[in-house]
Parts: sequence; structure tokens; C-alpha cells
Amino acid sequence: METVLNVAVAGLLLGGIFALISVGLSLQYGVARVLNVAHGEFIMIGAFVTWVLYTEFGINPLLCMVIVGPAIFVIGFILYRTMFNYIRIKAPSPDAFEGNSILAAFGLLFVIQYIALTLWGSNIHGYTYLAFPIHLGTVTIAANRLVTLGFAVGISFVFYIFLARTRLGKAIRSAAQDPATASLMGVNIKRVLAICFGLGALMAGIAGVLLSMTYPVNANMGLHYTIIAIIVVVLGGMGSIVGSFIGGFILGIVGSIVSYFDPGLALVAYYAIFILLLLVRPKGIMGK
Amino acid sequence: MSKKILIIFSVIVLLVGGLFVACDEEDDDVNGNGEPPVTKDEIIFGGSRPITGGNAIWEEVGFGPLYRLWISEVNAAGGLYIAEYGTSLPIVYEGYIYDDTSDIGTMTRQLERLMTVDEVDFVLSPASTASLFAGAPIFSKYEYVMLCAEGGATSIEDQLYALPYFFGVLNYSNRYQLPVFADLCLELGIDEVAMIWIQDLHGIEYAGVAATEFANAGIEVLMSKSVPPDVSDVSLLLLEAQASGADALCMFAYPDQNFLIIGTMIGMGINFDAILVGPGGNISALPGIFGPNIEGLMFEGAWNCNSTPGAQAFCDLFDSVYPPGTGDWWGHILYWGGVQFFEQAIVEAGTLDNTVIRDVMATSTFDTVLGPTWFDMFGDGGGLLAIECHAGEIGQWQNMVPEVIDPPNQYGEKRTADPWYPKPDWPTE
Amino acid sequence: MDITTFTSNKKFWIWGISLLAVLAALATLPQWLGSYYVILLKDILMLVLITVSWVIFSGPTGYMSLASAAFFGVGVYTSALLLPMTGAVLPLLLVIVIAGLVSFILGLLAGALTLRLKGIYFAVFTFGLVLLIQRFLLWFEMNITHTRGRFVLLVEDNTIFYVMLAIFVATLLTAYFIRRSKFGLALQSIGLNEEAAAHSGVNVTRVKVITFAISAVFMGAAGAIYATKLTYIDPYIAFNPLFSFLPVLMAIFGGLGSFYGPIIGAALFSYLQEFLKTEFPFQYMIIFGLLLMAVIVFMPRGLVGLVQRLLASLKEGPEEKSTPGWAIIFCLFGILGGLVGWFIFRERRGARVLLKAGGVVTLIGGAAYLLMFLLTLLGGLGGGYF
Repeated sequence: METVLNVAVAGLLLGGIFALISVGLSLQYGVARVLNVAHGEFIMIGAFVTWVLYTEFGINPLLCMVIVGPAIFVIGFILYRTMFNYIRIKAPSPDAFEGNSILAAFGLLFVIQYIALTLWGSNIHGYTYLAFPIHLGTVTIAANRLVTLGFAVGISFVFYIFLARTRLGKAIRSAAQDPATASLMGVNIKRVLAICFGLGALMAGIAGVLLSMTYPVNANMGLHYTIIAIIVVVLGGMGSIVGSFIGGFILGIVGSIVSYFDPGLALVAYYAIFILLLLVRPKGIMGK
Repeated sequence: MSKKILIIFSVIVLLVGGLFVACDEEDDDVNGNGEPPVTKDEIIFGGSRPITGGNAIWEEVGFGPLYRLWISEVNAAGGLYIAEYGTSLPIVYEGYIYDDTSDIGTMTRQLERLMTVDEVDFVLSPASTASLFAGAPIFSKYEYVMLCAEGGATSIEDQLYALPYFFGVLNYSNRYQLPVFADLCLELGIDEVAMIWIQDLHGIEYAGVAATEFANAGIEVLMSKSVPPDVSDVSLLLLEAQASGADALCMFAYPDQNFLIIGTMIGMGINFDAILVGPGGNISALPGIFGPNIEGLMFEGAWNCNSTPGAQAFCDLFDSVYPPGTGDWWGHILYWGGVQFFEQAIVEAGTLDNTVIRDVMATSTFDTVLGPTWFDMFGDGGGLLAIECHAGEIGQWQNMVPEVIDPPNQYGEKRTADPWYPKPDWPTE
Repeated sequence: MDITTFTSNKKFWIWGISLLAVLAALATLPQWLGSYYVILLKDILMLVLITVSWVIFSGPTGYMSLASAAFFGVGVYTSALLLPMTGAVLPLLLVIVIAGLVSFILGLLAGALTLRLKGIYFAVFTFGLVLLIQRFLLWFEMNITHTRGRFVLLVEDNTIFYVMLAIFVATLLTAYFIRRSKFGLALQSIGLNEEAAAHSGVNVTRVKVITFAISAVFMGAAGAIYATKLTYIDPYIAFNPLFSFLPVLMAIFGGLGSFYGPIIGAALFSYLQEFLKTEFPFQYMIIFGLLLMAVIVFMPRGLVGLVQRLLASLKEGPEEKSTPGWAIIFCLFGILGGLVGWFIFRERRGARVLLKAGGVVTLIGGAAYLLMFLLTLLGGLGGGYF
């Protein structure tokens, strides 16, 4: 029984991380139609900036979210408003835009990694923050992981409310469903898509801030998170925040159960789930 | 905008761009790529090194800083005296270091380029065990001395008889880290261990050799589990290891996984009487990352500034050039001993002919930072740095300083401090 | 397949003869080139043939396969098993053929399993295949054979080159004939509208699975010969995800629409990479990254799209002009980035690098801009790119 509880807790904590890194990509790919392979690089930047702010200026990592998030939002917004929007206009078809934007995102990946390598080198970094155990009955949880889970749930909830209730959120959802009609209805599609991409980048940055509390930080850390995020987003259904959120937790819990027997099989399990779910729901958990 | 303005604008842009590129020229291309010098006025070192990609950390904190330091030291002293030319020649490497992007195929191609197109005098070691294995046949084919740096594994030993230019420097699992660790366990009374290892050649090798060594020493392995390189959570593994009741935990993985394991242990308050950290436990950035939590952690390595008579001078030299956190308490002293050995072999050979230098290296003993230094040769093939020359095999962080804690054995007494056992609890914040 | 439809086509003969001439030239290259250039050429041929075989399936159908690294890796591993350093089990050429066959079978299996998936689902699953095989092999080697990497037989550079050239020719011919055959038409109709294709009598599943498997053959064969140059193999080296992404990038870079686009794209792309890694090792990433972005921004239909556009505008006169925004922004970014980098990081490693990189960006932007502008003045290319 204790083992089951431990596995469940580990799964929830891991699922929170997966959900956190995927929600941003869900917006970028689901709405803005950019399969941003540089997503993990934004996470890396968030983690690095937090590391610098904490170790050199002593700024609380949780406070860093307020600094890192808006800064990365602006970068993402400008990137979409200039480059990706230009590619979108020039592309002969939506499919061509998807292909071209992957290539451009690859370019972006190289550029961001280069900047990180130049600024911070290729050495491995990290810091310890909130690294103490919290005992809940028979279960022991690392405080920093619990905080990460809390923020993952909280931020995703705020995002959901934002999309469901605000005017901008409604514009984003209409853009996701049918960009052409949305722009006819008076939605400034360029601005909305750029905001979407920026928000995706913001989520990546915040994920980076939280991840840096538990994971080592280095310039090559990004791609691994990008791959997980892509799986989760596809699993959850295109453009569905809720889907990605649930998908992240499913992957985390299944990953933990499998890891309990053999950590080497976790990846195999992810793909097994992927295939099984697609057989049942070909468009993802929340896909329409 | 009128056409005139546009043209003027473009010309200005081109000029500024050209200026930017040109302003770096004099430093970067001393010799011009691809043209072998007609008269010998410098010694050219080339290399295919991981400037980007997964192995890039080694170019920053492994052999990378050391070859640059060594070459600048040699040049500051006026160069290497080569009898054949009757004069001292400075060493040049700028413009001949290529980026292998941590890809083996690229690395082998670039080695071939350095040896056949650029025709450099010497080629630096590529980084990582796999790169060494893939590069060794090329070095032997073109008869270049391969003074290996980062990497080494038991499986090369069978091949060594056919690789006369291979000179391995770094210590590894059965040479002679794990036998020493097993002895240390006996000394400290550790008789049950748990192992977490990476699903990679490194992990397979260390877990395999460790199993043999532990069995010989009568130590029981209670848990042996592997993790993938992209492992995201190790809390369940650690709970299992804790529940097994093992005295010691060994992590035979890379820095990314090892640091995650350490961080999770601190966060969950899981501790063992002894914790052996694989690659990563040896880097001098560790105190900056985990602070006082590193007290009592054991690591593979090992050396410190008191290990050998020359070590303190090397520490001072290194610290005067590189920022803190770029040191390596496993390989650096061995790489430094290796390049010092190489330097003396070149001077002794009095020529830049690699075949002659190879023979000098195979038969000579030179004094280096490691003390008297020589290679154990494998028949007519390559060699490995003699175990007697290693500065140490297992280290432990004590009072934020790395100490060597090897028990004395037939290869000499290398301990710099008595081991702390059991490891202290994680400090509370 | 009716061979007379080809022999009676004038274009076929022109292309055929010029291709033969190029091949003859390639075949004599090792006689007067140094071994490095032979190896480089061999690797470029390899990347081109992988790209072309990727395009055989993914080009017309629009299914983005990321399984290339799996097929390639299977070839590498076949070679590692049958050509160990201790002595070849089978002759080299036979091993190459076997590697192709194994890849073919894997292609059939994977195709039958996954072709029901569409779009991004297909892409993600095929990518998963690479990691799955890699992890399975690792597990197998760790638990069953207890091997720690494998050493592969050394083969003469020229032999490797000629084998690669032969695979290259076979790939091109296959790609060409599939494109020109009824099979190719069926593939294109699948790409346009799969349901309509099925209704008009195309056995959609069979066509897709067989083409997928055929495209795998050449990747496997190429992997097998590539392994003999690596000499040291482990599952991570063999199943390098890079080989899944490279063909996609190279094909888009060249332009997917035509037969020769991916060939030119892959050749240029791979040479450019090698050039940057050796000439600008410390700036390789930023130059390459900016170049990728610039290519997409300036040439959304790849190199071929640019050439076609140039030819069209030469025939029909310049297009409508618009404001020259992008090139200017590009140049300004370069200048600003370089200067800012210089001022902020003067004391640190990489200051000069940033400056130099800024310069390179500026130069590329400026040169591209000036070129386009002059062409516009000459009445050639339209200003639509700005």
C-alpha cells in the first residue's frame, strides 16, 4: 500500500512537470500552428536566467517568474509578429507554413543555444532551493517538487480561465478553430497569433524557472523537454489546454508506474500509451 | 525611399559588415587554413573537439582548458626546442580546432581532414570514449600520436595491440577505480551496496566491473537498476535503495543524472553511509551547485593540490588563468601529466616525426606533475598510463575540498586524508 | 511500367546523358582528390540519397516520416553484426544488400502499423520508432549479449566511396522511375486526396506501405556502408535522431516541388555544414541558425522556388514592388547584435565572436539585399521578397 502511494505521488509530481512544459507548446502548435522545436530552448533560457538571478543577485527563484515570464513573452511576441507571421503570409498553404515554420524554429533553436553557450558556456549548473523533505503521513515529498506541482496546477488553471472568460481568450479560441472566419469577425489575427506564441514562450520560461529548482541546468537541456512536450500535446489534442494538462498527468503517472519496475522502459511506455490512445481517440484526448 | 538612398544604404551595410568580420582576422587566421607552411617556423596542433552538442562540457571543463593552458605556457617559454630545426618553435592551434558537434561521423571526417589536407604536425585527442574508439584507427592509419584525454574503457584493451599510436591517460573502471573502491568498502566495513547506472556503455561497463569486484570482495549488491539518459524522476529508485538497507549507493551515470539523483536525495532527505558519485562528482563546480550538501560525497577521480609534489604549482597556474568552477578533480592532473610527458618526448625526439616520437613515448619515463611517468605498453601496440602514476582513484569532499581516500595498495600510497564514514546527514537549511 | 514512354521522351535523354556525365566525373574523382575530399563527398552523397529516398515517400504523399534514422540505424547495426572488426562474416556487398532488405522489412512492418495515422501523429510515431529500436537494442545488449559497443571492420576509403556512389545511383533511378510511373501518380493522388484516390481504384494502403518500405531500402544500405567508416558503433551512435531531421530540413531547404530540388538542397546544406564546422567552429551554430531562418524568410519554396521565380520574372518582367523591410531589419539586427554583444561582453569569452557573427549576418543580409535590389533595377527579380 505504501508503495502504491509512493508511486502515485511520484507520478503526480512528474505529471505536473510534464503538464507545465506542454501547455505552452499546446498554444503555439494548436493555435499559432508553429511546431516550435525551440520550445525547450525557452525552458533552458528561463532556467539559466533564474540560476543567474539566484546565485549572483540572490533573487528568490519564485520571484524570478515575474521577471522571466514577461521578458520571454515579449521575445516570443516579437518573433511571431515579425518572422513567423512573415513566413505565414508568404507560405502557399497552411501545410507549407507548418513545414516552413519547423525549419525556422530549428534555426531559432540553433541561435538560442548559441547565445546560451556564449553567455554561460557548456558547463553544468544548478543551485539548491527549497530542498528539504515534507512528510505527509507515510509519504515524503521534496518541497521544491511540491511547489512545482502547485504552480503547474495553478498556472494552468489561470490560463484556462483566461481562455474561457476573457475577450482575448475568446479571440484566441476562435483563431484556433478557424483563422479566416475569425479575422472576418473583426479579430486582429496577426496580433492574436503573436500573443498566443508569446504566451507559449512565457509558459516555457516559467517552466524553466520551476525546473531549475530540481534539475541541473545546461545549454543542451532543451531538446529533451521539447520531445516530451510534443508527445503530450499530440496526446492531449491539438490546441486544447485541458487536453495537454490531462495528457501530462497521464504520461507522468504511467511513467512512474513503469519506472517502478524498470526506468529504462518509461519511454517505451509513453509510446505504448500514445498508440493506444490514438486508436481509441484518433484526435487526442480532447480533440474534436 | 529613392534608389540612390537604397544603394548608399546597402554599401554602408556591406562596409560595416565587412569591418566587423575583418577586425577579427589577425587573431584568427595566423597561418591561413589548408596551406602547409613552406618553412618550419611553428608547430601546428589541430583537433576535432566538441565545441557544441552533448559533449561540449568537456571542451569547457575537461581537456579543453588544459591544452590551451599548456600551449600558452609553452609559447610563453619561447616554444619547443626541436633539434632537427636547431631552434625553438612556437605552437599554433587557432584555426585548426574544428567543431565535431559531438557527432562521431563528423569527428572522423575532420580528423582525416587535419591529417591529410591541413597536414598538421600533431592532432589533439577527440572527446568521449566512443570518439576515442572511433578515432584510434585513423590516428594509427596516418601515424599520428594519439594522446587520449576524456574517455577510456575496458573494451579498448583487446584492440590496443593493433593500435600502436594510442596512449590512454585517464583512469577508468577496472583501471583502477573500482578495485580501489572495493578495497575501500572492506576497510570501512561496507558490505551491502545499491547501484544506479546509466543505460549506456559507461553504465554497463561500471556496473559490470563493479559486480565482479564486489563479488571478489564479498560485498553484496542489494539493488542494481539502470536509468535512461533522459530520466525525469528518480525518487522511486531512491526509496527502493533506501528500503533495501544498503550501506552505500553508487551512481554510475553522467552529470545530468547524477545531479538529479543528488538533488532528489537532498530534497527527500534520503541518505546513505557512503555515496559514490560518478562523472560530475569530480567537477569543481559542485560546491557552487550543492553548497554544504557535498560534505562526505565520494567521487571517481581523484586528486587534489597536495596529491603530488607538483600538484600545488599546477593548481596555482590553473587558478590564475581560469575562473573558479572550471576545474576537474578526476582528469585534469592526468591530462596535465600527459601533455608534459608529450612535450618532453617531442623535445627528446628532436623532430616532429610522429613515428619517432611514438617510440620515445613507448620506451621513456619522464618527470611530470604526476612524478615519474611512463606508459604500460601492450606488445607492439599502444599503451595506457601506468597505474603507479595515477594520483588517486576515489575521492571524497571534506570541508568543501576534494581529498583522495584510496587505501594503500601495491601501486603506492595515494591517500591525502582519512575517509569520513559514515557520511554526515544532509545539512538543514 | 512501359519503358518506351521514357525512351521516346527527349527530355529523358538530355537529363540521362548529363547525369551519366556527372556520374562518370564523380567516379573518377578519387583518382585525383585527397582522401578527405573523397570521404566528404561520400558523406554528401549519403545525405543526398537519404533525402531523396525520404522524398520518394514523403514528397508526394505529404506524410512527414521521421523514421529515417531508424532505417539508417538498422543498416548501421546490420553492418556492425556482420562485419565485426575481428573478420567479416559475409562479403561486404552482400552485407549491404542484407542491410537494405532488413530495412525494407522494417519499413513494411512500420508502414503497415502506422500508415493509418495522419499528419503530426504519423510524424511523432515514426520518430518514436527510432527511440524504441534504440532502447530495445540497448536493453538487449545489456541483458542478453552483454556487449559494450561494437567495432566494425575497416574498409578502404575508395571502396566505401564507390559503394556509396552505387547506392546513390540506385536511389536516384528508383526515385525517378517511381515518380514517372503509375505508382508515382497513385502516390500523388493520395497526397492530394486520399479518399478520392481510394475511390478511383488505387489500393491506397498497399501503395503507401510498399513505397514506404522501398524508401527504407536505400537508407539501410547507406547506413551499412557508413558504419565501416565509423568503425565504432553503439545504439546511440547508430540510431542518431539527427538523421531523422536532416532529410526533412534538407528537402525543404532545396524545395519539395521538383525532383532535383532535394538533391541540390541536400548537397548544398551538407557542404555548408561541414564548411561552417571547420571554418567557423565557434560561430557555427549562430551562422547556421540565422541561415536557416533567412532561407525560410527569403525563399519560402526552397532554393528551387527561388530559381523558378527568378526564371519566371526574367521571362515576364519584374513583379510589383513593395517596401524593402526585411533585408533592412535583418541588417540592422546584425549590426545592433554585433555592437551590443561587443559592448556588453567585452571582458568575456565570446565578445569577438558575437561581433564577428553580427558582421556575418550583416554581410549576408546586405549582400542578399543588394543582389535583389540590383536584380530589381535590371528588371529581373521582383521586389516581392522585401
